[in-house]
Amino acid sequence: MSGLGYTLPAALAVVAVCALELGVLRTGLFRRPAYWISMAIVIGFQILVDGWLTKLSAPIVIYDNRHTSGIRFPFDIPIEDFLFGFALVTAVLLLWERRRVATRP
Amino acid sequence: MDRWQYLIVLGGCLLTTAPLELFGSGVYRQPRRAAAAVLPVAAVFLIWDAVAVGAHVWWYAPRFILGVIAPGGLPLEELLFFLVIPLCGLLTYSAVDSLLRPLRRRFAEVKHR
Repeated sequence: MSGLGYTLPAALAVVAVCALELGVLRTGLFRRPAYWISMAIVIGFQILVDGWLTKLSAPIVIYDNRHTSGIRFPFDIPIEDFLFGFALVTAVLLLWERRRVATRP
Repeated sequence: MDRWQYLIVLGGCLLTTAPLELFGSGVYRQPRRAAAAVLPVAAVFLIWDAVAVGAHVWWYAPRFILGVIAPGGLPLEELLFFLVIPLCGLLTYSAVDSLLRPLRRRFAEVKHR
């Protein structure tokens, strides 16, 4: 229940990705409605897929509870997974958008 | 059959998102741009993943994976996870973006009027 092993790095990953956009890349991704609509869709599907991967009755991914907040929602998904997923997908979209910015006349 | 479970989940993600390629300029049709977006992020997250598995923060049920373990101690499925999920995200974003394009044009016209 220390939260150090997963909760802390997951929170830091979100901060790092936001800092990457706001401080370095400045793609404008966060101002695009397409981004927020896409993230809502991604999170919806994450609940299905991640819910399957983490279900406590037969988990594919098993977490040491000492390293998480212990909060699992919805289903048995550790809430840290949503920070992890947000950071992962946002980082990829930022690099994708950077190419658009780079090629813009 | 159980050992294929993680791989089947990932395959399901690819199949479900594949039709999104039809919208706009797609993702698979821009392989260099997709690779430049996915691979650097995958590298960072794979290091995080390997450290977490090494420190027993999380691990994978042997029952549901093929048992092919890559250098760094990560199962093959986990390597694929960091290609598949970003591709699904890109396909979603690319499709939503292309669907919003007419709206965006309309909005720009109204603003210029």
